[in-house]
Amino acid sequence: MNSILNEFKSTSALCEEELHDSLYDWDTANGFALPTFEFPAVHNLNRFMKDITSASAPCQIEIQHGTTTLAFKFKSGVIVAADSRASQGNYVSTSSVKKIIEINPFLLGTMAGGAADCTFWQRELGRQCRLYELRNKERISVAAASKLLANMIYRYKGMGLSMGTMVTGWDKTGPKIFYVDSDGTRVDGELFSVGSGSPFAYGIIDNGFDFDLDVPSAIDLGKRAIYHATHRDGASGGTVNLYHVKPDGWARIGRWDVEDLHWEFQDQPKPSPINSSVIG
Amino acid sequence: MECIFGFTGKDFVMTATDSTVAQSILIVKSTEDKSRALSKRILLLFAGESGDTVQFAEFIQRNVRLYEIRNGVELSTKSAATFTRRELADNLRSRKQYSVNLILAGYDLTTELPSLYQLDYLGSSVSAPFAAHGYAAHFLFSIFDRYHRPDLSLEEAKALMKMCVGELQRRFLVNLSHFTVKVVDKDGIREIAI
Amino acid sequence: MSGKNCVAIASDKRFGVKYLTISMEFPKMFQATDKTFIGISGLATDVQTLMERFRFKINMYRMNEERDFEPITLANMVSSTLYERRFSPYFVEPIVAGLDKNNNPYINGMDLIGCSTTACDFAATGTPEDQLYGTCEALWEPNLEPEELFETISQTIMSATNRDCVSGWGAVVHVITPERVITRTLKTRMD
Repeated sequence: MNSILNEFKSTSALCEEELHDSLYDWDTANGFALPTFEFPAVHNLNRFMKDITSASAPCQIEIQHGTTTLAFKFKSGVIVAADSRASQGNYVSTSSVKKIIEINPFLLGTMAGGAADCTFWQRELGRQCRLYELRNKERISVAAASKLLANMIYRYKGMGLSMGTMVTGWDKTGPKIFYVDSDGTRVDGELFSVGSGSPFAYGIIDNGFDFDLDVPSAIDLGKRAIYHATHRDGASGGTVNLYHVKPDGWARIGRWDVEDLHWEFQDQPKPSPINSSVIG
Repeated sequence: MECIFGFTGKDFVMTATDSTVAQSILIVKSTEDKSRALSKRILLLFAGESGDTVQFAEFIQRNVRLYEIRNGVELSTKSAATFTRRELADNLRSRKQYSVNLILAGYDLTTELPSLYQLDYLGSSVSAPFAAHGYAAHFLFSIFDRYHRPDLSLEEAKALMKMCVGELQRRFLVNLSHFTVKVVDKDGIREIAI
Repeated sequence: MSGKNCVAIASDKRFGVKYLTISMEFPKMFQATDKTFIGISGLATDVQTLMERFRFKINMYRMNEERDFEPITLANMVSSTLYERRFSPYFVEPIVAGLDKNNNPYINGMDLIGCSTTACDFAATGTPEDQLYGTCEALWEPNLEPEELFETISQTIMSATNRDCVSGWGAVVHVITPERVITRTLKTRMD
């Protein structure tokens, strides 16, 4: 019995030693640095990436594109909603993508454009935010987090990154939404919608929005906006994922199949266009 | 960049066109009427390549009138739409095509029903309770899906029209200052203010 | 899709420009004779023009010959109408499906200039053609009865269009039997 125990003891001791060694080898500068990539040996990298991802390329690399995502501020926080379709050309590659990325318990990011780009860089953003917290002993502000993301991806501008994202959260200054995209745009605002279905979503939000909306109505508005976008936009569909950002972090409200929503909404009487609230 | 759209109501069709004539980056005129009356109760809205639009619309207008004179009966909206569609489709494979998007709005006395047809420059035609061409479709279809009912009253239709114009002016990059709004019903075609 | 003394033909109902859905009530099939249907997929304007031209030709044939088109004759007519435009083709891919005078199933799929292929099992055209053939291969089996055939073709078109961004938004199925034509509208996903 003891021999068995000893075996384990010695192993664990070895582990500690190894751990110590690996910690000793830990290179802080490299470990905390931004990710690096290998570049192909081509004459002009920007042209190369553009050529292989453009629609006219002979063998185009197809990346997920169509999307509807939205985020708006109201009295009790922020509503963030998105569809779940990933398409490659006309083909629906999956209908269960989580396009709202949980960066940390207080920050949410949304995903439009290249799926891989969005997931990778927002995961990286999560890491950066955690490091910030450890260094400064306080949570990062939404403004700073979105600036980190914008700065990171700006270094790759023109090399084929494709992302349109909203970074949302609640910090000391209150609820915040930042729109960040791969062109380098970073703007804060009250209401954004991103993706091919966004004009449809804007149509619903603009005409049904009121800052003093209660939480269930705000959730309903977000849900409807995504549903209407999936209905008219071929590149959006699947399910609606919806989050509510509150002072103590975000909460996942739910997920609804837009097929069920369609038949549910179709049976409801439509509101009269008179007296519907319109934002200025 | 032009906007034409319309929708049916209880016993009328309401249509709108932007009133802007543009030449490259310049606004030439902002009170142009981009529609022609095909008969007393059929209105044709057009948008597209400048020159083609009016030429084609007036060509259709004259032919519909010719049919009336020859046969002594007015064309129904459906017949006018079918005729227009076929002209566009046949024209598509000629040496020089018209590049015109159209909306046909009409009220038929025989059926006492309003009807609306959306025709694109290729000659595809669909009958629909609401129609919009070009970029306007992206901004307006979700609003129509949400708020349009076939039994809209005139007042509700005006409110809906305001909503549509408001949305375009809020979200569309192009500055469209003025829209011409018309109503087609049993009494004919008239321009209204919203 | 053919069955035992029956055939079925189905289409979706969407009309759109690129990813924008404009109409969800766009007919793509029409009844040519009592026991034959033509379904056309492709450029909407040509679909409509051809439907008008085919209807005209079918009516002329009926009046001149005082009998209806046999499915095979109809397919030849469709094929030669398309080949007339060899050098400025209609951008369509039609399917002719029906029962012949002995109530044997007849199915014919064509390309845009009228190259016709008769199939003893199934034919599919349109944007989700690949998906349709995949589901057809998996679900279809010989000698299906009308109700089974309806179920098979419905599942096929629904699975295929759900994997395609630009088709769906409702579907129509016609099952043609010697006695009657069963027409049903499917409740499908609307995204």
